[in-house]
Order: sequence, then structure tokens, then C-alpha cells
Amino acid sequence: MALPPGLTESRFSEALEQFASAVGSDWVFSSDEDVALYRDSYSVYWGEEEERVASAAVAPANVEQVQQVVRIANRYGIPLYPISTGRNLTYGGSAPTLSGSVVVDLKRMNRILKVDDERNFALVEPGVSYYDLYNYIRDNDLRVMLDVPDPGWGSPIGNSLDHGCGYTLSPFRDHFGSHCGMEVVTPEGDVVRTGAGAVPGSDAWQDFHYGAGPTINGLFAQSNFGIVTKMGFWLMPLPEAFLIGTVTVPRYRDFAALIREASYLEDLYLIGMPWYTSPASGGAFIGTPPELAALMQDGWPSTGQLEEFVRAKGVPAWSLDLRFYGPEETVRANWAAARRRLAAAIPDAAFEDHDLVELPIPRDEETSFSHKPEVGIPALDAFMLVARNPGTTDDPPDGHADFFAMLPRTADAVHSAARVFAETYAEVGFPPLHHPFSIPVSYYSRCFIMGTVVPTWRDAERNARSRTLYERLVARCGENGWGCYRTAPAFQDLVVSQYSFNDNALLKFQEKLKDGIDPNGIISPGRYGIWPASMRNNRA
Amino acid sequence: MKRSLLLLVLLAASQGALAQTTPSAENGRTVFAKWCTPCHGADIVTGELWGRAPAPGTAALQLKYRGELPAVLEERTDLTGEFIETVVRGGLFGMPITRKTEISDSELEDIIAYLTKGDAG
Repeated sequence: MALPPGLTESRFSEALEQFASAVGSDWVFSSDEDVALYRDSYSVYWGEEEERVASAAVAPANVEQVQQVVRIANRYGIPLYPISTGRNLTYGGSAPTLSGSVVVDLKRMNRILKVDDERNFALVEPGVSYYDLYNYIRDNDLRVMLDVPDPGWGSPIGNSLDHGCGYTLSPFRDHFGSHCGMEVVTPEGDVVRTGAGAVPGSDAWQDFHYGAGPTINGLFAQSNFGIVTKMGFWLMPLPEAFLIGTVTVPRYRDFAALIREASYLEDLYLIGMPWYTSPASGGAFIGTPPELAALMQDGWPSTGQLEEFVRAKGVPAWSLDLRFYGPEETVRANWAAARRRLAAAIPDAAFEDHDLVELPIPRDEETSFSHKPEVGIPALDAFMLVARNPGTTDDPPDGHADFFAMLPRTADAVHSAARVFAETYAEVGFPPLHHPFSIPVSYYSRCFIMGTVVPTWRDAERNARSRTLYERLVARCGENGWGCYRTAPAFQDLVVSQYSFNDNALLKFQEKLKDGIDPNGIISPGRYGIWPASMRNNRA
Repeated sequence: MKRSLLLLVLLAASQGALAQTTPSAENGRTVFAKWCTPCHGADIVTGELWGRAPAPGTAALQLKYRGELPAVLEERTDLTGEFIETVVRGGLFGMPITRKTEISDSELEDIIAYLTKGDAG
């Protein structure tokens, strides 16, 4: 049985009894068998001494119980690690940053408190999943649309607090950016409401996000300054229609103009997430085709070689799906305007129309609809890419650690990052995944993400290789000025260390806040590199 | 009067205990639909990157068993309660651990009753 750091078994037993009196004995999990359910299924340290494991878990049912849990933890000096639905897989799952922490499992706090389809918002508790919220909206025929991440089992609160993102229009697919109003239990057990929620009797909590004075909401994302117990989200009113228009361009060098035009449309809020692919390489996430690998054998190919490669292959170099939301008249007009601009900017650009889709998708057609996340339908389909699939038939990984580098929105940055990723894979001896036609993802509208999926295993030797690759990627990207937006606890100190401007001034500022707000250092010590004063030697 | 009240209480308690200990395949179907079908359902899912394919778990089992066993869990006749519990609570190949705050022990028993058709092995 793991113990919280510095606590004797008898003191811990005493604390567990107090937790049980606060939340009920059925909701304190302390047997080895039960605590094992809080392991990170995708841990890069599975079964090793460094694996982050809990000492126990408590599952409060309401805010008052969360307050009691926090006060007990303060009395005993027990580190707590709150989780929402606990499905933050590849980013730590339900396991704590610091071994010996007690997980505060908020899954039982699963009330959808309000969905308003005239003011277009939702107010939920942490245990609500995207599936729950989606079903509630559909069952009640509410005219709003969610923005969902790839796995629908996550929590809107948990996902937004780890800066998760989705697929629709930019104001909504930045999930933290689209929140409005929080309720937070502080490290000392008080309850704070932000924005208009701080005005007693206000009915504008989910309408006005700032309040007066400094906003503190950012302190509760990717951090350890409190436990969020309620959160509001602005929702998109249900658009009447969804339309995809595809543009393909023939030359390698057309990528820069394609990005420029997509950014123009995106920043005018005319399109949802632009979806780039490279027909010349056969598409995204499928590795490096043999003919491209052969071209890369003698080093990174020149632009001339790449142009010749595309010409010989006889397919477009790049493809871009533009996604339009709104009434039929406007989405058709916006697609027409986009075509006109793209045709003028890129000689020989070709266009493909797709059928207009009326929203909402009928419920019996959801499963077979091929653009679920783009219209806010939660799913788990993306696991197709990481479960046993034709690329991993005989040796599927047990999990994966996603790595995402944040780039400026330019073709040069994308190509440079692809090269750095490819070189790093080669250095570490992993099969190549990246190549000159690697494409970025635009979850965040104002930057590009160059990503990769590093396999994890329930095998120490193979995990060691994966960690080497991951750590090398962080370092190489850092050298190029590309930070990472999200990572598992095992890599948080490393990732945060890349944000080191002016002798780590940012982290030092965060640490001062930590010392003041959480003097006993009980909330998620070490999360995203923020350790309480007493534990700063824990930094990896 | 007191005795009959006591009997009523005992009867209610025993019915409660019975309800708790007798797994319900019908509820198992509901819990399975919520927690398992998105990955292990029989329907074809369609996506931009993979086209038309079975759900991820079903697709994975199709590759694993190569027709020797049904890839759709609800069509299996060889599953045991012990195996189902091990996979749900321990995870397997990308399928993560499922906690008791998500699927309770009692709900897991219901899933087992549903998938084993009452013969949990």
C-alpha cells in the first residue's frame, strides 16, 4: 500500500476514516485492488518504480464534500489529485503527478445543471462526459451544438482544464477559451465563483465571464490552485447546415499560399478547423510510404526533388477541406467566395463540392456519419488510429503518449518541424513517420500543431525507448522555439522547462502564487511543473 | 404489530439483498451500450482517416482473431466472467482500466450476465 509522503500508516488510516465520514465509506477506495484502478493505463513507467500511483481515492458527491475532503487533507498534509471523468489518457489518465497522492474522483458529480439554447450555454459538473451532455441536448431537442474532442468519454471540465480542443469554429474548439464562469474549491476549502457568478443573485454567470478586476480562471487550468466543481461553456447555436468544400493544389510550394488563404477564412470566422492532407504521401498518420522513404534516403529532399516527386506521382501535393457552418444560403456563399479567392491565389487549384448536410444528424445516422467531431457528435472512433489496426496487427501498443509541438502558422515552420521530427525518429532508431509532406493540425486556430503518437507499453524496456524518443522530441523542438501544449505527468517538468525565458521567470511567478494560495501544498503537487516549496526537489 | 413490522423490514431487506446479488442481463445490456458499444459495437463507423470500418475494438478483435472467434463481443459464446472482469478492471491493448465510479461492481456483474448469457463460467 502506497502512503502519502511523510505520513505514517496509522495517521493515514485515521485520515481515511475522516474521508469516509465525509463522503461515505463506499466512496473511499484504499484496498490495493481498488487503488490499482487509478493507475494510468498508458503510463510510460508502467510497473517501474517511477510509475505515478495513488495511495487511495475518494469520490465526493457534491461541493460540500469536496470542501470537507480538502480540509481533512490540509489537517494531515495529504496531497490530493482531482480528476473529472479520469479519461485524460495519454496525459496521465486518472493517476496523480505525485505518487502517494489521494485521487479526488469527481465522477459522481455528474449533474448537467443547465443548458440554455437561447443564450447558448451549458453549466455542468466535472463528472459529466461529452456523451452525457450530447445525449441531454438531443433528448431535450435543444438547439445547440457541442464542440467535442476526439474521445467523447472525457469531461468538458477536465478537457478544458487541460487545454483540450475540438473541431468546429475557433471560438468553440478552444475549450478553455470558450468557458464562462467557474466554481472552485480553494486549497483551503473555500468556494470561489468567477465572473458574474461572484455577484450574489446574478443570473449572468454563463453570460459574462470577466467580472471586475483580474481574472483568475487561468490559474485552474493545467495547474494546482484549486478543484473546479462547476463550469459554464458557451455553445454554438445549432447551425442549419454543414458543408465541406475541398481544394487541391498541384505543387509542393503551393502549401504556403494554401495556408495563407485558409488563415484568412479562419480568422474571419468563415470556416471551422481547416483540415490539411497530402495526397502525394497518401494521407496523414500512416507513416512514410516506400517511394518517399527512398527519396529521403540521401537526406532531406530539395524543393526541386519534391516538385518532381509530385509530378511523377500524378496526384495533388496538398489538399484542404474547408468546413462551413450556418444557414444554407451563407455556407454556399462562403464556399463560393473561398473558391474565388483560392483560384486567384493558386494557379491550377482544383475544387470538389460535397453534399450539404442538414443539422442535426438524425440519431440513427450518427454512427455512420463520417464527420462526427466536426458536427459535435462524441465518439471513440479515433482509437482506430492507436488500437490494433492494420499497421500494428501483430504487435499493438498498450497505449500512447501524444506529443504536440506548437508552431507558427506557416509552411516553413511545418516543413522545418517535419524535418526535426523525422531526424529525431531516426536518431532514436524508430521507424520514420514524418516526411516533407507531413501536415499540421489546426486545433488552435492561430497556430499549427505538429504532432506524433509515441507508443507506450506494459514493458519497461520498450517504454524506456519511447521515453527517450519523447524526451528527445521535447528537447529538439525546444531548441527550435516550439513549446508543447499538453503532456503526461512524467514529462511535465521537462515540457515546462522549455518555457524558460528570462531564467524561468514564468515558473518562478507561478511558484510564488502556489506558496501563497496553497501553503500546505496539497493540491496536485508537481502538476505542470508547479511544486510546492517543500517539494521543489521533486522536479524531474 | 411490532413483530409484523419487523417481518416487513426483514422482508424488504432480503428483497434488497436479492436485487443486489442477482445480476440483471437486461441492465447489463444498457450498461454495455453506454460504456462498451462505442468501441465494441457491431455497427460500421465511418471516419475521414480510415473510411468505413467496424468500431475500433471490434476492428482490433477482427485482426486478432482472423475469423476464429466473432469480433463482436455480443456474439461471443466463450466469454467467462473472470475474463470480462480482468479486462474491464485491468484494461488491455489500448482499452483502459475502468473504475468503480464509472462501472460499479454490481453493473459489472450485469455486463457479465449479459455477455455470458447467464453462464459466467
